[in-house]
Amino acid sequence: MIIPAAQVDGLDKEFGTTRVLDRINLTIPAGQVTCLIGPSGSGKSTLLRCIAMLEEPSAGIISVGGRPLGFSLENGKRVKLPTAHNREVRGQIGMVFQQFNLWPHMTALGNVAEALKTVRRMPKAQANEIAGQKLDEVGLAHRRDYYPAQLSGGQQQRVAIARALALEPKLMLFDEPTSSLDPELTGEVLNVMRKLAEQGMSMIVVSHEIGFVASVASKVVFLDHGRVVLDGTPQEVFAKPRHPRLAQFLDTYLDREAVMLA
Amino acid sequence: MRFDVALVLSYLPAIGWAAITTVGLWIVALVASIVIGLAIAVIRLHGGAIVNTVLRLLVEAIRGTPFLIQLFLLYFGGPFIGLTLERLPAGLLALSLFGGCYMSEVFRTGIRAVPRGHIEAAECVGLSQMQILRRILLPEMLVLVLPAGTNIAVGLIKETAVLSVIGVPELTAVISGIGSETYAFVEALTLLSLCYWALVEICARLGRTAEQRLSLYRFAA
Amino acid sequence: MSWKLFTLLVQAAGATALFSAFAVVAGIALGLFVCGVALSRFRAAAGVARLYVSFFRGVPLLVQLLLVYHLLPVLGLNVSSATAALVALTLCTAAYQAENLRGAFLSVPNGLVEAADVVGMTPWQRFRRIEAPIALRLAIPALLNEAVAILHASALISVVGVIELTKTARDLAASTLEPLPLYAMAGALYLVMNMVLVYGGRLAERRFSVRTA
Repeated sequence: MIIPAAQVDGLDKEFGTTRVLDRINLTIPAGQVTCLIGPSGSGKSTLLRCIAMLEEPSAGIISVGGRPLGFSLENGKRVKLPTAHNREVRGQIGMVFQQFNLWPHMTALGNVAEALKTVRRMPKAQANEIAGQKLDEVGLAHRRDYYPAQLSGGQQQRVAIARALALEPKLMLFDEPTSSLDPELTGEVLNVMRKLAEQGMSMIVVSHEIGFVASVASKVVFLDHGRVVLDGTPQEVFAKPRHPRLAQFLDTYLDREAVMLA
Repeated sequence: MRFDVALVLSYLPAIGWAAITTVGLWIVALVASIVIGLAIAVIRLHGGAIVNTVLRLLVEAIRGTPFLIQLFLLYFGGPFIGLTLERLPAGLLALSLFGGCYMSEVFRTGIRAVPRGHIEAAECVGLSQMQILRRILLPEMLVLVLPAGTNIAVGLIKETAVLSVIGVPELTAVISGIGSETYAFVEALTLLSLCYWALVEICARLGRTAEQRLSLYRFAA
Repeated sequence: MSWKLFTLLVQAAGATALFSAFAVVAGIALGLFVCGVALSRFRAAAGVARLYVSFFRGVPLLVQLLLVYHLLPVLGLNVSSATAALVALTLCTAAYQAENLRGAFLSVPNGLVEAADVVGMTPWQRFRRIEAPIALRLAIPALLNEAVAILHASALISVVGVIELTKTARDLAASTLEPLPLYAMAGALYLVMNMVLVYGGRLAERRFSVRTA
């Protein structure tokens, strides 16, 4: 049996008294693209952030590449895993944010090379060489010495993707990667993601780009109020007659792209 | 009214030394303020409740009272608790503590202004807490606080004049001394004002230039 | 420290409060005038106003105090040291307040000014009804910060012999040979006045705050 890229079992997340995620069970297949969709506040970003260990789940177990992350189940009890273990497992994950989050005081190359130098302890020349290759892969070799403030939103997001790829992750997480971009800049970012998908990268993508979701995803998960409502191939999930909540979501949020599925 | 510049200028070597003293005092106090300010800010970010309360009270006490009172407390009161200092070290210590407390508040504001996502991005690629502090948080913060930091640096130049009250031989002490020796008070004090005005302007300009240079590393999100 | 010394210090703190209050009020009034001139169309006058602001912000208050203290008699004005000190304090704080007010006027959103023009207000009406009220409210935090700074700066007038909190503490410290408790108590009294200003200011801010975003 092939080990899934990630596995989520019985995941709960509460902020104070609000339950944001409610008993989430999910298998993320390896080498494929899984898309999370749902209205805002449905918990899709929180789910992604739990997998990235940016939020600590209130209950449940997450494993990445077959190894538990953050917590593991021992004799029916949930125990915290040591930092060193988590650091190693987390090293297999690359994360791309809605707000890019490039470090403004470093060049594009500096952003990509930073973790190679400080985390992987690579010599500077080698780190810069790898970083240069990664920037080339996202089509930004010519912008290596630019600072984030000098780059367009689309370019910044591509640098952010290169930064995540530099550590050779097994699983890439994308949290609404095009939501803060002007419409004319989303294409360049989606193209890079499409290329990654073709290369067989395991990816989880939170996105409102339904066209992208329908054409690239092998699996679509529709979340609402912190629960998985639908989980299947795009054909299954978008098949008519649509689930009423999904139909409402598509109508309300995605007027413009819903046309593509008609 | 007579305005005898020549008389004052005959004291030029003494004035030169005093100017060097003032600039030297300022530079040492500024560097010490930055170090103390960074230390307080970082400790208050990560420290326990007791340490934080102590530091908060110290900062509030220093920011809530006149520098002159702090100086008197240290210089005249210090010997009663076994802290006997000469004028110069006493003045420097008081000035550094004073500047450090103001700097620490600026640094804390700056640290809070660094977007949370920049830290998360660093956590995601595996940087340790120490590396995040050194490589991301502090550099980003320093760019953000440059204008406020420059203001404090400029304020410290002017605060060095207060050290004349306990007899530190800096510009104000020396030039007003010349004034009382020659009775050319107005000339001496005018010259003194011009000296400070020039120092302050130079420092403010340097700060603005640095700000423009660093605007590249600054993110307008 | 005896009760007697304590009451002397509290009385002196009253003097400090009075000196500071006078300088703050006079400073805001003069600052408003200087700010008006600096923002006016009269180039030469605006230049002088800017020079004034730059000078008084660029020179230590102690030096300004000594200068005013020695300059007034030379100009034939024989005034008490307390008057000279008040003049210096006011001239200095006015420069800072002028700058605070200028910043506030410049940050009144242009759209609000245009909206006033569109409904047909005269320039004076626009200033009186729209710009000034908004700018003054925007300036409150900065004006208050400067008031706190003046409270602290007023300690320096002790240097020219004006009897206030710092001077009293100094004299008592010299006569009792107990500087530590006296300066500590003086510091505590400054802190109390400081806190009154800060908390009073927060109330005023909450009462008058405007959001222009």
